[in-house]
Amino acid sequence: MISFPVLLGVLLIGFLLLQVVPTDPATVVAGPTATKAEIDAIRNDLGLNEPLWVQFGGYLGRVFQLDLGRSMISNRAVVDEIALTLWPTIELMLACLIWAVPLGITLGTLAARRRGTAIDRAIMAFSVMGVSVPIFWVGLLLIQYVGGAGLLPFQGRNGPIWTADGFMSIILPSLTLGSVFVGPVARMTRTSLLETLGADYVRTARAKGASDWRVTIRHALRNAMIPVVTLVGLQIGFLLGGSIVTETMFAWPGVGRMAVGAITSSDFPLAQGAILILAVGFMAINLLVDVLYAYLDPRIARG
Amino acid sequence: MTDTALPLQSQADQRAIAAIRRKNAVWRRILRDPPAAIAALFLVVLVGAAILAPWIAPFDPYASNMRLRLCPIGGARCPDFLLGADNQGRDMLSRILFGLRATLGIGIIAVVVGGGLGALIGLSAAYFRRLDQPLMRLVDVLLSFPSILFGLAIAAVMGTGLFSLVVALSIASVPSIARIARGAAQSIMQQEYMEAGRAVGLGDGALIWRYLALNCWPTILIYMTLQLGQAILLGAALSFLGLGAQPPTAELGSMAADGRKFLSIAPHVSTLPCAAIFLVVLAFNVLGDALRDALDPKLRQ
Repeated sequence: MISFPVLLGVLLIGFLLLQVVPTDPATVVAGPTATKAEIDAIRNDLGLNEPLWVQFGGYLGRVFQLDLGRSMISNRAVVDEIALTLWPTIELMLACLIWAVPLGITLGTLAARRRGTAIDRAIMAFSVMGVSVPIFWVGLLLIQYVGGAGLLPFQGRNGPIWTADGFMSIILPSLTLGSVFVGPVARMTRTSLLETLGADYVRTARAKGASDWRVTIRHALRNAMIPVVTLVGLQIGFLLGGSIVTETMFAWPGVGRMAVGAITSSDFPLAQGAILILAVGFMAINLLVDVLYAYLDPRIARG
Repeated sequence: MTDTALPLQSQADQRAIAAIRRKNAVWRRILRDPPAAIAALFLVVLVGAAILAPWIAPFDPYASNMRLRLCPIGGARCPDFLLGADNQGRDMLSRILFGLRATLGIGIIAVVVGGGLGALIGLSAAYFRRLDQPLMRLVDVLLSFPSILFGLAIAAVMGTGLFSLVVALSIASVPSIARIARGAAQSIMQQEYMEAGRAVGLGDGALIWRYLALNCWPTILIYMTLQLGQAILLGAALSFLGLGAQPPTAELGSMAADGRKFLSIAPHVSTLPCAAIFLVVLAFNVLGDALRDALDPKLRQ
């Protein structure tokens, strides 16, 4: 429900973006030899004399028919450009989540089990550093020391992830993006696990003679996962932000890099499409997280 | 005369003393926590250096000397440049001092403007019950949205540059401060003095300003500190992408992006600004966490 006003806001921004295009569409359609009367006639035909809110209605109609206009630079349909860049972005985010989330949960569990020890303090210090480091510094260091030494490629995507070349080329971007993700997940897991470890059912399990690690993993961790899933869901929005920087640094052909390129080169239709798809993608992920949430905690599904 | 004035005076004194004690308690707790104390001290030094940059910077941050191009730290070509020179032969130390000034300045302006707006929203939501639902829905929407997308959208509509950057960072700071302000104001709304204020006939404006805002501001200020680290990080990322501060402006994010091209031959040109951003944000986060724990352990999540 919450997504609806956001969607409307994003569409409004997209519409505004097309309004600031410096060239008059009617002049472009009419061609260089057209008279003023001809341009006016075309302007009428295109609906450019209608009030803005009518034009906004027309824009909404076109968006729902997946007509996002044409790129001012490549002259290809914006939808086609997005279709090309969408999968690399999804691939990068999956390649990051697949190692960063398990690592974060492991570190968080370890810190909670060894609460107050040097291990706990070290993991928490690492986590604070993780949320403070600019993601581009991690990328630069990896490029400098790993990429620069010729160990792994760091320029572009050399194929789909399941090919050897493609896999090699995704390692550094995935490490960069995941580095800012481990810390928050570890921290949330620790806090949440410390709460559940004090719960009655955990004491019951312990009284029945279950081992420490069995209690932690079988009884406490699954219940502790609920806030963690929420956090991961929320953080995926920020992962989207991180992926914009990562893609730009590693010349990764994704939506984020396309958005930045379109904005800096004033390609308004493309920028509008890219921002729209990033926002819609974010909302889709939020929906997915809600579903996952109900699966982890059946109490939520039953209301 | 003196007999009646004296107890009043001493009551006021007692209140003042109690207030000072409370303030001291927070600071004492901060100082007892070594990482937080170090972070606070470090930030005082950094903010001082940023404010005094025009006077303490050894060289002009924009004066280039191509003979000193990419001179490394401690290089023989540039014995006067403590941190070497960048790709235009400009003194890195001076540029970092000025960059710090710009980065901190942008972050502080954005958090003060956005946080002020957020505080206004939060206080209004707590005071006018009817506004609570619509205002907080709006805040939830803003909060759930990745703030870098604000940056992209605003840069796209208004063009890239410092002004767009400040606008984007301000908007990004609104929702979290609004939430905190609402929470703090709601607990004050239940205090008897709010009732008393209304009973003596104070208007909404006076009640909000004198009773609500003045009692909430310590909490709001602390969350602004936490938010400042996030705003600086986001601003640096946007500048790094070329959507914020533009070269040749000495700003840490755009300096890092600028030096990227010389990573293999002169890593210090981009590493130094990156390290500076990291240390500033780390200090704000460590201090913010400690302040939050010291002020209200209940707010800890």
